[in-house]
Amino acid sequence: MNDAPRPKVLVCDDEQQILRALRVILRDAGFEALPASSAQEALDVAAVNRPDAGIIDLILPDGDGAEVCRRLREWSDMPLIVLSAVEDEDAKVRALAAGADDYVTKPFGPRELVARLHANLRRTHLEPEEAVIRTDGLEVDLARRTVLVGGAEVHLTPTEFDLLRQLARNRGRLMTHRDLLVSVWGPGYADDTQVLRAHMANLRRKIEPPGGGRVIRTESGVGYRFAA
Amino acid sequence: MFDGLGPGRIADERPNPWLGIAAAIVTVAVATAVIYPLKQVAPAVSMSVVYLPAVLLVSAYWGLALGLLTALLSAAAFNFFHIPPVGRFTIADSRNWVALAAFVFVAAVASTMAEIARSRAREAERRRREADLAAALARELLAGSDTREALATTARRIAEALGLQSASIVLGEAEGDERRRALSLRDGDRNQIATLLIPYSLPDDTLQRVRTSVVPALEALVAIAIRRDALQAEAVETEALRRSDDIKTALLRAVSHDLRSPLTAIVAAGHALSASTLTDDERTELIAGIVSEGERLASLVDKLLDLSKLQAGRAEPRRDWVSLDDVVLAAREGVAEPAPDVRLTVDADVPEVRVDAAQLERAIANLLENARRYGGDQPISIHVRRSGTRVLVRVVDQGPGIAPSERERIFEPFYRGPQAPREQWTGSGLGLAIAKGFVEANGGTISVESLPGQGTSFVVSLPVQANSPVSVQG
Repeated sequence: MNDAPRPKVLVCDDEQQILRALRVILRDAGFEALPASSAQEALDVAAVNRPDAGIIDLILPDGDGAEVCRRLREWSDMPLIVLSAVEDEDAKVRALAAGADDYVTKPFGPRELVARLHANLRRTHLEPEEAVIRTDGLEVDLARRTVLVGGAEVHLTPTEFDLLRQLARNRGRLMTHRDLLVSVWGPGYADDTQVLRAHMANLRRKIEPPGGGRVIRTESGVGYRFAA
Repeated sequence: MFDGLGPGRIADERPNPWLGIAAAIVTVAVATAVIYPLKQVAPAVSMSVVYLPAVLLVSAYWGLALGLLTALLSAAAFNFFHIPPVGRFTIADSRNWVALAAFVFVAAVASTMAEIARSRAREAERRRREADLAAALARELLAGSDTREALATTARRIAEALGLQSASIVLGEAEGDERRRALSLRDGDRNQIATLLIPYSLPDDTLQRVRTSVVPALEALVAIAIRRDALQAEAVETEALRRSDDIKTALLRAVSHDLRSPLTAIVAAGHALSASTLTDDERTELIAGIVSEGERLASLVDKLLDLSKLQAGRAEPRRDWVSLDDVVLAAREGVAEPAPDVRLTVDADVPEVRVDAAQLERAIANLLENARRYGGDQPISIHVRRSGTRVLVRVVDQGPGIAPSERERIFEPFYRGPQAPREQWTGSGLGLAIAKGFVEANGGTISVESLPGQGTSFVVSLPVQANSPVSVQG
């Protein structure tokens, strides 16, 4: 067994059965689950135990998961993943706007959940920044600003490269439209999704094999995610 | 307000003719008297003008006949009293004829002009009353929401206003007979939309008025009322469609949310069971969780099937004689754990009813489940009694009650009370819809009585057959 302290994960869901299963699944993946079954309990548990990350159901007996995210964001930078059902589209977007980093749709595969957790924890754990990011035939050299697809260099415009860099540095993490617009174009462009879509289409045409596996995944209505 | 519209009334406005004769005599006498002093200053022959006011006055007020009488009286009095030879009639004198002709002329002109003025006033008055009638008809027809009722009131109004013995308006075409005349009411496209029935024998002028002023106004108004009815019906239909759409949306929501929750728990527990660090206690817990969530799913699926059967009209009851205490006890057994605390009383005179026992049991079980969920763990009382030709099953909880505004909606599928705490959302939101569906499929009705803060009673009312055997008390 690993002697390093296990990352603590706040798990908030009103379904006892789901809490139990998640406790086992998270422990098996090397985390320690801090269960809470209501919004108030989640805030209390978080304040006392200072978790490293949070998994929060959107529908809670005493409130909205988005509200919990907002309250946690007031004092904590920890990655927050919300659990949502497909039809909770609005609540999901609200939660992301309120500070959630990612979402997982119910019923979720535990492996997916654990992968998201790891991806989001990388951000706060300040893993040494990789100079070169490699994935599936794609090589992005952040220092030299070059991109190789299948070994051949591809020319990207500065904007396209900045976009790719933002996504690649946050591989596996959901980057909302707003995140990307603000970091690449600046705060004045936060709502300009049209611009983002146009550049994203160009970028994909250049780095993704036609009809092949996608390097960048579209999260409909929310944002994009660089393949983990 | 319409009294003056009666056919004979306008003639009454003319002053009394006896009064006119009296006025003629008096005014002529006064004029004759006035001439005596005036003869001192002017020749008597020129004094005929003194009679003119008398002729004018009587002609203007009492018409041509009395005006002519006054003219003749004046000519005669002038001749007799003032034209020499005084004291007798002198036919031969041409001055007499000149005076008489002048008087007759004045009488004719004055009475004609007065008559014209009077008839103009009458016409204005008639128009005003017709406008009033049209406005009153519009109010009747367009203000009410029930057009048929409004048509009856409107017909009464017309009968009153025109002094008819009876009048009625029927939608569509209708035949007249020897007593009733049928007048067609047509819309803008000349299609007959309604029929006005009035007594067959009417004075010509009244019939004329009905045709020229009542019918056109009525046509326009009835056409509008019919259009409005159609629009209202359309709105009701749209509302029904929207409601059924709402139900479908709610069904989708329920299927994706209510089915997904237990499913998520089962999938997660299944994965957790393969964890390498699993303890025995955890394994037991996870397996118990899978079983209970699976049962929850199964019960929800049962309810969805019940509901879709009911909504598709495929819940044919298999009726048999059933004793209600058996059904209630079976229903209590059928409620998912934990069993509710039920206090059952059945009156001695309650007969058996002829229903589908399984369906009624499902209905009562759903009411019990609802009472347990919202009744705050208090005992539920069930009282079965007879009331005339019905048997009433009253299920009473001691929960927070239901606001009047919600009572209509609680029987809708997937409706959950707004104040229901989220942990009570484990309910499917289908129970009351199913209870209502099964009760109604068996010829019964279900209603709710509740005061906020004082608990809720659901009353299932079932018909008693004439030959119902009285149930044996258990």
